[in-house]
Amino acid sequence: MSLVLILNLIWQISTLALVALGLAIVFGKLRIMNMAHGEFVMIGAYAPVITASLGLPGWLQLPVCILTVALVAFVLERSVIRHLYGRMFDSLLATWGIAILLREGVELIFGRGYQSVSPPIAGTVTILGADYPAYRIAVIAGIAVGFAVLAWWNRRSKVATRIKAMVGNPELAQAVGINTARLSAGAFVFGCCTAGLAGLVLAPTIRIEPMMGLDYLIRAFFALVVGGLGSLEGLAIGAGIIAGTQSLLGALASQTYGYLAVLTLSILFLWLKPDGIRPSSR
Amino acid sequence: MTTLLEIDGLTGGYRDTNVIFDLTTRIAPGKVMGVFGRNGVGKTTLARLVQGSLLPAEGMITLAGAEITFRPAYERRALGIGYMPQTAMVFDDLTVRENLSLGQTGHAPDLYFERFPRLAERLDQLAGTMSGGERKILAFVRAMIEDTQLIVLDEPSEGVQPENIDHMAACITERAASGAGVMLCEQNLSFLTGISDHYLGLDAGSVVLDKARDKATQDEIRAILTL
Amino acid sequence: MASVLLPASLLLAVLMLIPELFGDFMAYQIGLYLIYGIAAQGIGYLWGKTGVLPLGQALFFGVAAYVTAIALRDVQGLGAQLVLALLVLAVLAGAAFVLATLIFRGRSESGPYFSLVTLALAMIAEQVAGTATGLTGGFNGLSGFQSLAALDPFGGFYYVIVAATVLVSLLLLILNRLPATLIARAVADNEPRLQLLGFPTHVVKGMAFAFSAVIAALAGGLFASHQGIVTPTSTGFALSAELVILAAVGGRFHVFGPLLGAVVVGWASAELRDSFPYWELLMAVAFILVVLKAPGGLAELIERAFRQAWPAKPPVPQPPLEAPPPLAAQAAQPLKFQDVELRIGVVRILNGVSFETPATGIVSIIGPNGAGKTSALNTITGNLHPTGGSICLGDARIDMRPPYRALGSGIGRKLQVPSVFFSMSVSENLTIAMMAGRARRLDYLKPSTFRWRSAALARVLEHPSVPLKDEVTQPVGTLPQGHRQFLEFAMTAASAPPVLLLDEPCAGLSPDETALMTDLVRQYQAETGALVIVIEHDMSIVEAISDKVLVLHQGRVLAFDTYAAIRADPQVSMVYAGGTK
Repeated sequence: MSLVLILNLIWQISTLALVALGLAIVFGKLRIMNMAHGEFVMIGAYAPVITASLGLPGWLQLPVCILTVALVAFVLERSVIRHLYGRMFDSLLATWGIAILLREGVELIFGRGYQSVSPPIAGTVTILGADYPAYRIAVIAGIAVGFAVLAWWNRRSKVATRIKAMVGNPELAQAVGINTARLSAGAFVFGCCTAGLAGLVLAPTIRIEPMMGLDYLIRAFFALVVGGLGSLEGLAIGAGIIAGTQSLLGALASQTYGYLAVLTLSILFLWLKPDGIRPSSR
Repeated sequence: MTTLLEIDGLTGGYRDTNVIFDLTTRIAPGKVMGVFGRNGVGKTTLARLVQGSLLPAEGMITLAGAEITFRPAYERRALGIGYMPQTAMVFDDLTVRENLSLGQTGHAPDLYFERFPRLAERLDQLAGTMSGGERKILAFVRAMIEDTQLIVLDEPSEGVQPENIDHMAACITERAASGAGVMLCEQNLSFLTGISDHYLGLDAGSVVLDKARDKATQDEIRAILTL
Repeated sequence: MASVLLPASLLLAVLMLIPELFGDFMAYQIGLYLIYGIAAQGIGYLWGKTGVLPLGQALFFGVAAYVTAIALRDVQGLGAQLVLALLVLAVLAGAAFVLATLIFRGRSESGPYFSLVTLALAMIAEQVAGTATGLTGGFNGLSGFQSLAALDPFGGFYYVIVAATVLVSLLLLILNRLPATLIARAVADNEPRLQLLGFPTHVVKGMAFAFSAVIAALAGGLFASHQGIVTPTSTGFALSAELVILAAVGGRFHVFGPLLGAVVVGWASAELRDSFPYWELLMAVAFILVVLKAPGGLAELIERAFRQAWPAKPPVPQPPLEAPPPLAAQAAQPLKFQDVELRIGVVRILNGVSFETPATGIVSIIGPNGAGKTSALNTITGNLHPTGGSICLGDARIDMRPPYRALGSGIGRKLQVPSVFFSMSVSENLTIAMMAGRARRLDYLKPSTFRWRSAALARVLEHPSVPLKDEVTQPVGTLPQGHRQFLEFAMTAASAPPVLLLDEPCAGLSPDETALMTDLVRQYQAETGALVIVIEHDMSIVEAISDKVLVLHQGRVLAFDTYAAIRADPQVSMVYAGGTK
């Protein structure tokens, strides 16, 4: 196997892990089956398009991305999502409506056509004799550092416990002094922002268009199904298996076979091991 | 007599149906108020209206002079109201340790571990895997160690073995002795009459008896339970 | 009967008028909406009654559409085509049944996993349909075949669709009035309870899923004939989601809801698509509003308005019918635990429990909180499987069977926290309990089953102090906890199990109610000669009812003897000091 193939694999796995991170929070922790998750990736990917069309400098891409996504997520949480905690199927339907809403909204503003942006870091670096885009190396490193920081923070902070308490028993959570409205809004917005961030870093490597979200949503869902909803470790394993299967079979056979293998694998997990490789309760 | 909790003309219940009607009473600091009545008369509803899980249709609730009638439950907790619900009383997905450490705690649990050694043995077990009685005890201890001035307890003795009920009674008396007010909703009459300083008898959502311990007779109390 | 025929005839009349009033083109369009509506009706039944949400219904729709297209192209003669159609429906129903029962077996909830499986299957089907060009024509699809019986899609074929719509609606209207649908609703309401009443819930869900699959396939066949072309989009994710949306918007709890949703959404999109650029935004917002504010959809809004003008008549009480005897009538037998161990994760709950009860009588289980009392009952009913040892009832080993087989082996159980069907009325709860262990397959399709009552149940209900008789039409969710205790007891006793397990039946009861409950337990034992096992903390109750007392402590048997002997046992009083209410 060539080194470039391996680096591509790592790129696929790490970006899928970042896409799935927000869904792990929103679906795994808040129990909202967010069908609009991919649309937050999409909005994040439009951030460079926004800054370019407004003539803003490149370094504003990140703040524009986070602010836009956070604002949209916050408004949606307060108006729609907050009614849906504990109503999983309803959350699925309502967020499906939100997904349509966001797709159509973006289409009205930017049109249906493809957009593309250039990476902020140009050129390639040579690793062990193989040339690879410097931008992708930087993103992979950034995601690795980000997950390490998150794992460290998750171990120290009580937020994960408080979210678990709130979702399991909202009334008692209020009774022990947890402001559930603020906590759930915060968690939802944070989850959506990581999705937006994923869209931003993916933007220079993909075609940006309003319908792009669905594919990310589905792969993120299946990564969580395979890995389990419990831990960052499970998330990484799930992303590895899904992105790994898809890229390997995609490279060796065809995209269709890769896709079919991922779907089959997911069905087997859903049927035989629905809690994934790393289940959520310890 | 100073007043910790004042309830004035309280009417409330669920979305379409009121369960409590024009209820007025007082709880003094350091006193245990025993709330009793047959099944379905509104004990749990009253507890939830005081604690904030339900908001009233009419009336006023005041805690230590500050009005809290429409304050959300988490703010009432910050103001000093602790609560043990009747059902869904613990966080099933959390360990015993996490359950006990989630709220701001003012009292060390060690004292309670002496009375309920089971809890100390099971600190790392998920609360949801414990038996019904153990969960009641965990919920009770959780409510007792919080730094609160009013503790609302809804059926703490249900499914608890007799000697642990005695321990519960001792814990409640001690917390009251250190100045906290307690609102105890109970079916277990010997437990209730053993520790209440004051009785509040309910029928069909209204007060039918509101008397200090020494003014109420056993017959009066029995009569309300068999109305 | 009128409640079924009247709405069905009204539907027929309205649909027959459409070509006359609006012309053939409109009828052609409405025909397509109705086809989607039929598929959505299947979703409505499955989701609205059993609570299982299918996200890949286009799988059945699409497969049937492709097969129909191929049949219309290659098979000659209407008869052969119809036989083939029936064959395909049967195969799809079988496949759907197997899929759902396999996935739901061993579970007692309908979480999102099954929905995601159906979604993934639909996506696979779409992928295959797009790739297997030889069979399906790839992305261009299959076309160039004649409509069924060469009927004109803009003319005669409309009436075929109308016939299908009315037939499916009629079928659903009838089904909704049968005991089978009551059982389906009970699955959504409280699956663990239904299992303890002896119903294999995975089979119930499998049948409901197969039924909805057949309806989707029927719609798919009509679609192929109506449109004259089938492409991979007919079997994919987007259509699956669309069908769910139609059911949700129209109203999944009502037979006509999904039809209404399909026609309204279809017509509105057709009208707005060209004239109003924001129509998709508008549709999305409307859909979100329906989910949030009107979970019952348009049908429920209309019904509510209708009921304000014409309030529903209260149901006329039907004369009760003596229920048939339990199917597995057995005599009470001794229950034997042999070195039973139970470990969950690292926690050891039972550490080698051994005892043998008498064949009949009342056995109380006492012990400190956390001694393993409820867990012991869970191993008897199969809710938990022991990690060691064996449990036998008479000579039959019972520890490894699933909970829904417990009643069949003679074991009924009341749970610690009253577990009943909360969204249903008291009388519906009792009807389900009367079917438990008595109903044969055909009884689920006979309305007379609703009237089943037994003498034993009547004795509990008509007891002057039991609070339930004035509450028969009330939804159980509004009953206080104590009344639910009595209801659950009545439901468990209704099937007259020779072994009755009661987990703290007096918890949350007032002293008077407690006395009543102990009376009922004693009465049950005396009348049936059953073995009754009661978990109880209150020693005065234990003294009053027990023939023998089992003391559990830290997952072991500390003592098993008469009440007097237990009272005198110094070891017992060390760990467990008694008390009374």
